[in-house]
Amino acid sequence: MTTTLIVLSVVDIGLLIAGLAVYLYIVGGQLNRVATNLEQCSELVGSIVRDAEVIEPGVERINRTGGVIAGALPLLYGMAEGIVTGATYEPAETSERGPAQPASGRRRSRLHDAVGYAPGKRAVAPVASQPEDEVTS
Amino acid sequence: MVFALTNTQENLWWGAVIGGFVVVLAVAALLTVLVLLVREIDRRVVEIRNTLQQAAANTSDTALIAETATSVDAVLAEGLEHHLFLGRVLGKVRS
Repeated sequence: MTTTLIVLSVVDIGLLIAGLAVYLYIVGGQLNRVATNLEQCSELVGSIVRDAEVIEPGVERINRTGGVIAGALPLLYGMAEGIVTGATYEPAETSERGPAQPASGRRRSRLHDAVGYAPGKRAVAPVASQPEDEVTS
Repeated sequence: MVFALTNTQENLWWGAVIGGFVVVLAVAALLTVLVLLVREIDRRVVEIRNTLQQAAANTSDTALIAETATSVDAVLAEGLEHHLFLGRVLGKVRS
């Protein structure tokens, strides 16, 4: 019985030590991975902070300049409107023009002369008495 | 070598052995919980690292903000030139 107790005591202590060793080995490996990842996180946070430091002064400068531009634009387009108004051609007042007439006046038609028709003139001689080759001019 | 134990001593020893096994089981359970928690912490830290990598990628181009500010200043300078030009032309048009 005493031997049994001794063996059980040794097994008990051995289990305790072995269990602690195994679990601590596992937890140690996990904590090492966590430490590595946290180190990378720290570097990333530092990088982000360095990148973010330039945001505020840059945006403030852009806002300041943009405000100046926004304030000056109404003045600019006011001046542009003044230029457009002053440079637009305004013709003098003219009466309504009729249709264009040729400078030489109305052209006389020769068709009537070709057939011997002269409106406003009376025929003084019969047509038959005229020579055949005579053409009324 | 013979150990002579009384019944009380033997019972106490048995009690110590049984108590030791119980303690071993309790330690195993607690260490299992610890391992699970540390594994969860590891997983969350990996997610945080990935998120931080994306954030770093998103903020990697912030150096362009200064160049943008310089360009906006150039726009302002050009606007001032336009202002001067329009002022000269407006005076000629009105005269």
